[in-house]
Amino acid sequence: MHNTLNRFQSVFGFFTTVAFVLGCFIAATDFYAERAPSGTLKVSNLQVVKGRPHYYSSVQEEYAIIKFSLDADLSHLFTWNTKQVFVYVTAEWPAPKSGVNATNEAVIWDSIITNPSADHLKNIGPATMKKLKKSAQGKTIAPDRGILSLRNQRPKYQITHPSRKIADTENVKLKLHYNVQPWFGLLTWNQNQDIGFWKAIKGGVSAPFSLPSIKKKN
Amino acid sequence: MAEELLDQVRDLVDGVIDFDGQRRAEVFATLLLAVSGLLAFNVGYTKQDILLALYIGGAGTLLTFLVVVPPWPFYNRNPVKWLPAGSRAASTG
Repeated sequence: MHNTLNRFQSVFGFFTTVAFVLGCFIAATDFYAERAPSGTLKVSNLQVVKGRPHYYSSVQEEYAIIKFSLDADLSHLFTWNTKQVFVYVTAEWPAPKSGVNATNEAVIWDSIITNPSADHLKNIGPATMKKLKKSAQGKTIAPDRGILSLRNQRPKYQITHPSRKIADTENVKLKLHYNVQPWFGLLTWNQNQDIGFWKAIKGGVSAPFSLPSIKKKN
Repeated sequence: MAEELLDQVRDLVDGVIDFDGQRRAEVFATLLLAVSGLLAFNVGYTKQDILLALYIGGAGTLLTFLVVVPPWPFYNRNPVKWLPAGSRAASTG
């Protein structure tokens, strides 16, 4: 501490320690915040069509287009340490061969929900950005953004299978997933059992359904 | 003339403080940084505002740098009292 450079180094060194400990404290508050998400998923329309994976491809694959309705309450996931929440819906179905312990899983829809503290990071146009920022004016967290209500939502992604066949698949279920991205701390996904204050998603799985046969052209 | 000026510049850049000042600077740095960190956490958590925590922590750190790094006069209030330089040699020489 005897000269300027020495003092600068000492202060900066201890600052990094304080910043790290502060970050650990903030990360630890996540474990004391209750998470009780719930969701209801319903299939509203099913369709299987033939298509090409890309324009110049000569092979044809079967694609399933699954429209769905989603009611979800993810408001608990928004705390002061939440940067953004990634919500996604997957379709899951067991492998057709018996004895093969494998599950097919494909994402059909997803969305990024930001907390107001991370609104500026969202990749949207200036007008939409203004609207988004205005929607949370004066609020530091926005739990209301975690309440989703989608009706007859078109999937973002049409899904297929490496075998190129997906029509008539049985026992398909839609499942709701989320991923909480904090400012400090652990990246967490939805869990299947309760862990401390974090409860498993209530519902969040649709009733099993079968994909239809390919729509025939007349 | 130039030498005197250079001496002054060197003193300013070096910013040497006395022993008592060093102890004080150490205490200030530790206390200010730790308190600003704790304040940042508590205010941020009660207000549920991570940005506020960031700003409080940043402001506290900046303040600490301002208080501790420059050689303020109150770090030089207890200079070491040396014996007169070469007093015996001067008398005999």
